[in-house]
Amino acid sequence: MAAAEAGALPAEQRVGQVVLPGDVLLLPAHPEADGERLWLGPGAALPGRLVCGPGLRSCGAGLLVTKCGLLRHRQAGGAGGGSGGAYWVDSQQKRYVPVKGDHVIGIVTIKAGDIFKVDVGGSEQASLSYLAFEGATKRNRPNVQVGDLIYGQFIVANKDMEPEMVCIDSSGRANGMGVIGHEGLLFKVSLGLIRKLLAPNCEIIQELGQLYPFEIVFGMNGRIWVKAKTIQQTLIVANILEACEHMTAEQRTQAFAKLSER
Amino acid sequence: MGSEPGGCGLRRFSCELGPLGRPDGSAALLQGDTSVLAGLYGPAEVKVSKELYDKATVEVLLKPKVGLPGVFEKNREQLIRKTCEAALLGALHPRTSITIVLQVISDAGSLLACCLNAACMGLMDAGLPMKSLFCGVTCTLDATGAIGLDPTAKQEKEARAVVTFAISSVERQVLMSTTKGTCSVEELQQCIAAAQRASGAIFQFYRDSVRRKYSKT
Amino acid sequence: MKETPLSNCERRFLLRAIEERKRLDGRQSYDYRNVRISFGADYGCCIVELGRTRVLGQVSCELVSPKLNRATEGILFFNLELSPMAAPAFEPGRQSDLLVKLNRLLERCLRNSKCIDTESLCVVAGVKVWQIRVDLHLLNHDGNIIDAASIAAIVALCHFRRPDVSVQGEEVTLYTPEERDPVPLSIHHMPICVSFAFFQQGTYLLVDPSEREERVMDGLLVIAMNKHREICTIQSSGGIMLLKDQVLRCSKITGVKVAEITELIQKALENDRKVRKEGGKFGFAESIPDQKISAFKMERALVDTKDVEEQAEEIITKADSPSDVFAKPVLRMPGMAQLGEGIENSWGDLEESEREEEEEGNSDDATTSEGQKMEMEERNVVRNTKKGDDTIVLSDSEEEEVVILEPEERPKKTRSSGGMVKHPWGSQKEIHGTKPALHFYFPYPCHPPPLP
Repeated sequence: MAAAEAGALPAEQRVGQVVLPGDVLLLPAHPEADGERLWLGPGAALPGRLVCGPGLRSCGAGLLVTKCGLLRHRQAGGAGGGSGGAYWVDSQQKRYVPVKGDHVIGIVTIKAGDIFKVDVGGSEQASLSYLAFEGATKRNRPNVQVGDLIYGQFIVANKDMEPEMVCIDSSGRANGMGVIGHEGLLFKVSLGLIRKLLAPNCEIIQELGQLYPFEIVFGMNGRIWVKAKTIQQTLIVANILEACEHMTAEQRTQAFAKLSER
Repeated sequence: MGSEPGGCGLRRFSCELGPLGRPDGSAALLQGDTSVLAGLYGPAEVKVSKELYDKATVEVLLKPKVGLPGVFEKNREQLIRKTCEAALLGALHPRTSITIVLQVISDAGSLLACCLNAACMGLMDAGLPMKSLFCGVTCTLDATGAIGLDPTAKQEKEARAVVTFAISSVERQVLMSTTKGTCSVEELQQCIAAAQRASGAIFQFYRDSVRRKYSKT
Repeated sequence: MKETPLSNCERRFLLRAIEERKRLDGRQSYDYRNVRISFGADYGCCIVELGRTRVLGQVSCELVSPKLNRATEGILFFNLELSPMAAPAFEPGRQSDLLVKLNRLLERCLRNSKCIDTESLCVVAGVKVWQIRVDLHLLNHDGNIIDAASIAAIVALCHFRRPDVSVQGEEVTLYTPEERDPVPLSIHHMPICVSFAFFQQGTYLLVDPSEREERVMDGLLVIAMNKHREICTIQSSGGIMLLKDQVLRCSKITGVKVAEITELIQKALENDRKVRKEGGKFGFAESIPDQKISAFKMERALVDTKDVEEQAEEIITKADSPSDVFAKPVLRMPGMAQLGEGIENSWGDLEESEREEEEEGNSDDATTSEGQKMEMEERNVVRNTKKGDDTIVLSDSEEEEVVILEPEERPKKTRSSGGMVKHPWGSQKEIHGTKPALHFYFPYPCHPPPLP
């Protein structure tokens, strides 16, 4: 019975704690309560509105947890007040589910006429038009081979449709996207680690950057591509990042100290 | 491990979340000496013949330790699959497959309950969306009508009836029940009540193990 | 499920790293990954971990009649299974080429090298012998399955104990473990496989390849050897040409690795034996390290079940008594009775869905497509009306869609709306734009049109 009782706690009290599927988070009572108080989906938070992020669903007056992980909360910007903001569950998953707007690393598997099929690690291969590259025209096709790595962005990603990628932004610029160089190493980590690495001011990246120069690309689908000057340096970066999965900050600083001594 | 004095206790539970590198989610669970390893993939690509346009296709494979899976395993696969489907929010991932592979590592009683628990922990590890958690509890009734929980293989053999329930974490609802042997309606209700109480300990175990896994992040 | 494809850049990087004598996990070319052996509570059960590759082994036995040509020999049977949990590409119950190759290699390594004394498995010559069955399950695939499987097989065989038997005249008595201690198998030697991966036509060599290394290798050499440096089997695959020196060097490395692994196995077996003898705790629960962050243990939990009886009684008294649903049996004719006439049919759901389907179909004929959000349906209707009121055209257009959208299904039953759900609108438009004439005359593009 303890689990059920522990579940029905106010949401604020459980931020930063582990929540499990089936837990119910109570939201503070709203004076101007109306039917549309909960704003589902990745849309921008309106002041006073609550965004219910990944791993949560609205149920009755509260939120139902659907994934296990740590509950996170972000205050709404501006005049949001106490009740606004976003709640989501930070979970350590391995399988990627495409989300619109995510930047991912894909592997080209098929060249079929006007489109490429790209493996992004989801349940379905994403399609990528040959025109969705910077400067590509019907005459001037991009040079993409089967097995190449693509860094792109989802413009269509929902549960009912085939995901679609592009390698240009809304103004037609590559903006860093496109085919990734022919060298370097690709490896996979958990989705939670990718989010941690991509967070602004991530310590791991800053510390790594002080070792030696290297190029790195993070895909939200858990794939990382690294290229340093030598094979050895590339391998070191890859192994450090893989090891970061289960290291505390202290253990990490020790590991970095060891490395920089060399 | 020995026999329970009053027959009303769960054996020692041990688990490891994510022991396998390849699957999207995995869990090894030990209940006393009974042990099951769960590995699962999903939401992943689905075969066209099995594709469902409005929800995920859930598949459960139960692998016995010796020999090939037979009718007995197929029957249990169905029971576990139905339970998982009831807990999963499959509609969030239509046209995908969720494959749960359960490998029996050792059978020392309450195997079905252990399979259910391993499957649920595997689903949690994979981060698949679920309405609620579930757990499996096996009860025995002996000749005098006394209830025993989480029996060993020997206790199962001596019992008059063996009843296994899948219990949801929301309001302790019974998701699945299967019985072997004879028992009265009153006794069945007593077993449900006992299983519901035991489920509290198991859900707490789930919570503590997940809490430990996330203690460093 | 398909395996994640290997990208060109990974392939290039791996090969370049191998040229520089570097490996992804920091090993040297001749390094073997860590081997970890743990035992289950049952005899003959073990899990072997070779890096992240994991194999479960279980030995079982059965009394059977011997093979006709070998009346005094027991039977050894090996079965390696590539469980779908080990890698997404493994399908349940499928005999892939890889699986057949691995099973055959295991048999050659363990059965044909006569590591088990099969004559000691004979109970009554020509009548009863022991059949020893070794089941191996691959749980996680990270390369070099064969080495892990061969270690698991030999460890499980060494750990196994069969029930003791006694023969008096024709009668065979089996003893339970309580009556007489089970007996171990007599094992002559322990053959262990060691794999070598070759790259660039044999220029570079790696011991114990990982999964990614296996995907870029040119050839594989497997040598099975025991600690007396006797080669039990040797197999080269992949079609590379090896020099005599290379094979000799590989066999030397094998000798060293086998000696190390054999020592490890004996230590593990000795350790398990000691714990069992002293009555300590054994089994897989003990092999999970306590300090591991992903592991958790809960000691025996007591559940208070004192007042369940009252609770159950309360529920039963509160519950409504089951309604009397039994109608009187009707005797239709001698030998046939019917029960439950007049009771509501619970098959209603099924019928309803069927009815819906029919309605959907009919809505094509009726120009009012009520409740249909699909643009296509409307376009369809527009098209039909354009062509006139000829009903033949209408049915033809329906078929035409079906044939294109779901070629494997017979066109009779499927309705256009059912097929469209799965398909993007784009392709639909194209079909309409490009080949209407074709459909008109050939409603079944895959089959010849029926003769007039």
